[in-house]
Amino acid sequence: MIGRDRHVGDDLTALLDGALPDDRRAEVEAHLASCPECRSERDRIARALSSISLTPPPPAPRPGFEQRFYARLAREAPRHRSLLDRLAARPFRWLVPSTGLAALLVAGIWIRHADDRMDLEMARHLDLLESYVEVASLGVVETSEDVDVVSHLDELREGRP
Amino acid sequence: MAPDPDAALMVAFQEGSEAAFRTLFERHGRATMAFCNRFVRDPARAEELAQDVFLKLHRSADRYQPSARFTTFLYRIATNHCLNEVRRGEYQARPEIDPESEDGAPLDPDALPGTSATPEEMARGNALARDVASMLSRLPESQRAAFVLARFEGLPYEEIAEVLGTTVPSVKSLVHRATVSAARALEPWSAGGAAS
Repeated sequence: MIGRDRHVGDDLTALLDGALPDDRRAEVEAHLASCPECRSERDRIARALSSISLTPPPPAPRPGFEQRFYARLAREAPRHRSLLDRLAARPFRWLVPSTGLAALLVAGIWIRHADDRMDLEMARHLDLLESYVEVASLGVVETSEDVDVVSHLDELREGRP
Repeated sequence: MAPDPDAALMVAFQEGSEAAFRTLFERHGRATMAFCNRFVRDPARAEELAQDVFLKLHRSADRYQPSARFTTFLYRIATNHCLNEVRRGEYQARPEIDPESEDGAPLDPDALPGTSATPEEMARGNALARDVASMLSRLPESQRAAFVLARFEGLPYEEIAEVLGTTVPSVKSLVHRATVSAARALEPWSAGGAAS
């Protein structure tokens, strides 16, 4: 039960999105019936959603969209495969960075969501993984300090302090 | 959960079928480009980003496990890649890109309010798109990602939570705050007038 002195806040958008459970929706609707302030806010959000729904999607790609991707794939996929082959031939070179990455991923998963699925977590860290693979191929990652530097490569590349 | 035909294609690709990967690109490549364009407002760069996403997918195929929907996996890679891109900062200072003048790329005809849209309706749609893009560029990145996934990709809160690696209550809050910001920014449109 929601008192008249307590407004419903972010439940308004969820209500309009149909994302509230039945019991909560009933509570919010009962509150709206007696609260002109929340009704006004709900109507304002509803008008905005209506405007947003009229937004045209971004431009369509230029003709040859698929062909340009397949050409790039043909150029870059063999290079990546070659890199993986070299790493496979020198497993000890990337033992340290890959161990570091695995530890980082395990720690991240454990801290954020103990039951989160590995494939989705891996999707989040693909950039980091690729940085490790690229640098490890140069044979310059030997210590845990090197691993730490690699984990911040993106920041260096972007010119961050 | 119903069988995911895209997940089956991904498994076929893991087993060596390049044709399966191409089918995935043909199904989702254009939508991924549109998604990326919501972040960078530059069709040419959005196409590069979409290509990057699918290259990552190609390289990391052996790490995919069909425990999640394929599109959730894809959105997660794409969202992370786009947020990394906008963190570089160059897009904040970039002037608005007029969709009509960008490489002569036409707007998707399905986007227009009917195939017989008048020039006035097209101009109004473009002006609204610019205001929405401007509003998006001012949102904090987590709100921006949640808003794009909810409003333009039509994902339910539960799937957005999976994509962003957060909880449903957190998504509810992110989407609400972003929508309130949108309501404020788009007030002239909500009142029935067009910003000119």
